Amino acid sequence: MKLDELIFRNKNLVFRDAKTGVDKGIDKISNSLEIGYHEDVRGLIFVYNDNQLGAMEVLLNFYQSNDAIALLNIGLFEGYKIELERKYKPLYIFDPSRTEINGYMPVRVSEDITLFKRSDDFRYPINQNIKILMNTSGTTGSPKFVKLSDDNLVENAISILDYMPIQKEDVVPINVPVNFVYGLSIFTTNCIKASTIVCTSKDVFQKGFWDDFANYKYSTLGGVPYFYEILQRIGFFKKDSPSLRYLTHTGGLLNQNLWNTIAEYSKKFQKQFVVQYGQTEAGGRMAALLSDDFYHKRGTIGKPIKGGMFRLHEDTGELIYSGANVFGGYANSINDLEFFKQAEELYTGDIARVDKDGYYYIEGRMKRIVKLLGVRLNLDEVELILKNSLEGSIFICVGIEDKYMVIVYSDDKWDRQSIGGVLREKLGINPNYYKTKFLKEIPLTVNGKVDYPLLTKEIHSGEIRL
Amino acid sequence: MKTKQRLYKVFAKAFEIPVEAVNDELQYQQIAEWDSMSHLVLISELESFYDISIGMEDVLEMNNVQRVREVLHSKYGVVIEH
Repeated sequence: MKLDELIFRNKNLVFRDAKTGVDKGIDKISNSLEIGYHEDVRGLIFVYNDNQLGAMEVLLNFYQSNDAIALLNIGLFEGYKIELERKYKPLYIFDPSRTEINGYMPVRVSEDITLFKRSDDFRYPINQNIKILMNTSGTTGSPKFVKLSDDNLVENAISILDYMPIQKEDVVPINVPVNFVYGLSIFTTNCIKASTIVCTSKDVFQKGFWDDFANYKYSTLGGVPYFYEILQRIGFFKKDSPSLRYLTHTGGLLNQNLWNTIAEYSKKFQKQFVVQYGQTEAGGRMAALLSDDFYHKRGTIGKPIKGGMFRLHEDTGELIYSGANVFGGYANSINDLEFFKQAEELYTGDIARVDKDGYYYIEGRMKRIVKLLGVRLNLDEVELILKNSLEGSIFICVGIEDKYMVIVYSDDKWDRQSIGGVLREKLGINPNYYKTKFLKEIPLTVNGKVDYPLLTKEIHSGEIRL
Repeated sequence: MKTKQRLYKVFAKAFEIPVEAVNDELQYQQIAEWDSMSHLVLISELESFYDISIGMEDVLEMNNVQRVREVLHSKYGVVIEH
């Protein structure tokens, strides 16, 4: 069965728009737009997601059609959107933040939804297996997409439903945006099984979020470690929220203090806490840890999900996943959309160990990657972006324990402000996530390459003062 | 010492924006620099600058500059002059 069939057979399902309080039943959202559903030549659809009801309706409608969908962050800078559109030539664009797009004409496809349709109707071959395209990080305007098939998403949803305590009366906010693979998997699994999906872009620092939480009686919340740090700061774990049955997590290890707080909370108020591990390249999840194990298996990512398997590379210890949810390769241009080649194994880039009971623990990373707010950033790519944006100067990026990165530069015509401007505009990185350091001489190895270990060591020891 | 200008500087420091960009109407999520991450930074900057400890319900309450001034006054006795 296809994902949309699994979703549309849940006749209970209602979508609630938190902004307006309007409810729409699942039947009202099925084949509800005036678009070509069964055209032979597939089109690529750009959905700039604002997490509102309209975006969900567009997403589900194009899921029903013969087209492929790229899920993107609505907050991208307009220049980036235009660059991406020039590169991928989408047939339709959904973007409620823009009123006009060059080369596209607005088409009203329902009473409240307007799309932009390509004026020249240009089409190109898109492999039948490609259904969803996503950025690996969910936020950056990188033109690199992960190619996912309907089969990937269905298989992953079924595996998740096997352990996730979703009940058919559940009210679920999509508080993780669906342009992140984690948000997408929360969305798909709950659409299949739960009763109400609350479409919202409110966040936990807004009182409106908590008003909705109380009024609509949210059954669950999900988030990356930082989300749980906020909950801790605002005292969420000190009191019971009666409607809440379980919490889910992904995107990196919780610190000890938080792990303890949540363990205590879940015991005291009888809440389940589900730790997970996943990547966009796996269409969502690869491993999960259920709450009973949460108390005595500290720091683990759990065990592979049903239908999935892990092995560790014999030399490097890299964690390698296999399962039906492994993606069909990356796309860097429209030419790559002609192909969908599912690899048998997914090299996660994480180094892991496994204990005698079969629980996996992440120990490190193969590549120079830092995870900020649960979002993966390749430090080599950040260096390249800075170099290309700032007259070819050299910038060295070092990640410090997923807390922040340090950007070292040796040309004093740059400063924190100029570097920060690029990071914000091109990568959406907040100033709290980087420190900058001018160093006249960047430490090199005997081969003349940047000595990253030395640099990291000296930052840690304070020899290089930030 | 406890002037509005000084308060604005605390905001400017927390968000890394020029102090001229701060005004009473500025609110949470209105600018990219005031997001959930920098909100926590703001709270700790306010705590250390005014030597207070901000309660959790006030973390949510402090969602615009004017409101921050009011809460600092009513709950923490910090009077900020013009």
